[in-house]
Amino acid sequence: MTRLTLTSRLFVLGLIAAPLAAMAQNGKSDREVPRTAAGQPDLSGHWTSATIVPLERPVELGNKELYTQEEADKLLAESLVVTETEAGTAADVHYQLDDFGLDRSQNPIALNLRTSIITDPRNGRMPASTAAAKAAADARAARARERGFDSAQDRPLAERCIVWPNEGPPMLPVGYNSNLQIAQTDDYVVVLLEMIHDARVIPVDGRAGLPAGVPQWLGSSRGRWEGDTLVVETTNFTGRTGVRGGNVLSANARVTERLTRTRDDTVLYQFTVDDPETWTEPWSGEYPLTKIDGPMFEYACHEGNYGLANNLSGARAEERAAAEAAEKQ
Amino acid sequence: MIGLLGASLAVAQDFDFPGTRDGHPDLNGIWQTLSTANWNLEPHAASQGAIETLGTIGAVPPGLGVIVGAASGRDSSSRDSSGREGSTIPYLPAARAQRDQNFASRRTNDPEAKCFLPGVPRATYMPHPLQILQTDDDIMILYEYASAVRTVFMNEEVPAIAESWMGWSNGRWDGDTLVVDVTAQNGQTWLDRAGNYGSATMHVVERYTPLGPNHLQYEATIEDPNVYSRPWTISMPLYRRLEPNVQLLEFKCVEFAEELMYGHLSKGEGQ
Amino acid sequence: MMLVQRLAVVAALAFVSAEASAHHAFAAEFDVNRPLELSGTVTKVELINPHSWIHITVAGEGGETTDWMIEGGSPNSLYRRGITKDSVPIGSELKVVGYQARDGTNRAVGRTITFADGRSLFFNSTPVAGPE
Repeated sequence: MTRLTLTSRLFVLGLIAAPLAAMAQNGKSDREVPRTAAGQPDLSGHWTSATIVPLERPVELGNKELYTQEEADKLLAESLVVTETEAGTAADVHYQLDDFGLDRSQNPIALNLRTSIITDPRNGRMPASTAAAKAAADARAARARERGFDSAQDRPLAERCIVWPNEGPPMLPVGYNSNLQIAQTDDYVVVLLEMIHDARVIPVDGRAGLPAGVPQWLGSSRGRWEGDTLVVETTNFTGRTGVRGGNVLSANARVTERLTRTRDDTVLYQFTVDDPETWTEPWSGEYPLTKIDGPMFEYACHEGNYGLANNLSGARAEERAAAEAAEKQ
Repeated sequence: MIGLLGASLAVAQDFDFPGTRDGHPDLNGIWQTLSTANWNLEPHAASQGAIETLGTIGAVPPGLGVIVGAASGRDSSSRDSSGREGSTIPYLPAARAQRDQNFASRRTNDPEAKCFLPGVPRATYMPHPLQILQTDDDIMILYEYASAVRTVFMNEEVPAIAESWMGWSNGRWDGDTLVVDVTAQNGQTWLDRAGNYGSATMHVVERYTPLGPNHLQYEATIEDPNVYSRPWTISMPLYRRLEPNVQLLEFKCVEFAEELMYGHLSKGEGQ
Repeated sequence: MMLVQRLAVVAALAFVSAEASAHHAFAAEFDVNRPLELSGTVTKVELINPHSWIHITVAGEGGETTDWMIEGGSPNSLYRRGITKDSVPIGSELKVVGYQARDGTNRAVGRTITFADGRSLFFNSTPVAGPE
């Protein structure tokens, strides 16, 4: 039996690291783009959004939008090191990802040469928050410090298995199982996110959006075809879903997404977040989705969520221990 | 009387049901059942609910039951002790005792109370609509309740690899009937709010048959040698939701279940 | 089509992992000050989300046994490889190095979970040579 290394654990999935910007401009050759029987571009299939590209560009790169192929190859080679954790540190309190096939090295990823997912602002980083949003974020952080383990309702939405931040919209890559399944009819495009097993049902039949009094965790989406691009507008957010950086998407946010099948094995995903209550300007990003094999497996989060109960139980045990220690003094 | 036999239903010629390009019925749409199956699959009178403080709002409505003869049609040779045939679930004795225990503990143990995924067939008759998304490829069935969803493989049979809450579904056409074979459920779901249940060896075969332009007949035959003495079948119509703007809305019920599930672990609860 | 095989691993500045919000909570669920090593016999394997749990019975010195639950990862990537819970048969002998639950109950996160002879649970590798 051969010694198993990270290399041999890989799925063999080859991906072309071509500059996405060029793809978007040239992109849509009829010969290459599969179409449904009704003539729409076919977005259906299984796709991965797994990537090593960060949401925000490292500050030192300034306005550098793309790596060269050589730079990207070097980055990949450098990132082949499995992070070792030191026994007795908080980071070590974790199961081994690659024991379960969850390490990024063990799964297909979608490559691109971008230095960040965010494309606008030009520095590839999220714009400044509004003063009100910053104050609200600080208040949330203070409350989390003070009573973050008091009850299930005080825990993060992800830990409660209500919604995960990668779902958005905008949809963002996630640490593992970063996959989605798209199914399509003439009237609907459905995006089923593996994490956490939520299906976004996007009507493309021109119907009106939900009324204002019906906010939803994933918002309310309406799609339309513009040429070969599916444009999705989402409104009706709850004002309770978090976005990276400590902010929440306000109830009045509007997210626009674009999905374009640029080649047989690639769907280009682009998004713009327009939320003037939270950020001083809109921000946009893009990354590719790369074709993978199905099927998708159920990620029933809440049903197996021992962890939430254990966290609360642990906090109560610590309080008891602290109370007993105080009594002894 | 609604015919109960998928194979011998001969209604296709009598009405215009939308069809697909390849000649199968187009089941795309938003559908919902109207029975009290989710309260209790078996015949039941109206009764006090599990939570008395809800008064009438929490009470159980009456129902004729949705179970039909396991064999074809109303077979008078298999009547039960009350003289009616095929109306109750044919539990093995130990399983019936388990069902009764489930019923007694339903307020806290019904997976629906905890917002757990309902499995098949319960997902079909939750008091929420479902959407059938029938593509040129596979069929996806989406449920408003708890954002449940499953894929029905239609092109070739895909053997189940993993057990799950919503099971593993392979589908095929039998004339105008969509037949879905469901295996690999994890045995942790219930079949209704009365504690009826199946185990991890449960095997469900569903049949969706157009009856009219806005009606499907839904049947599910359930077998599980560890729980029942023989296969048995439920049957009920699925009604097309006709409101112009109808769509599945979000019923993400985890929040509503948290106090029930985790309230005792909150600070100050004396744990 | 020109296909190039690529490998990628989490880089320090890579996008936020799924564990990021839960990472904080791992240290809340399990105690870094309660490291442990266990050897036990598998009684139940729950390959579930968000985390798998492997149940083992650990024999004490006096012949008494204790039941433990060991936490692992999401099984979805295992399923993609056709791996099922049958890879870890009931009755297998396991070795667990990890950290105990903060509330003192018989739960632990498995920093490493292997068969007693050092073999990986799901990937059939040969034992890692030499001490860590």
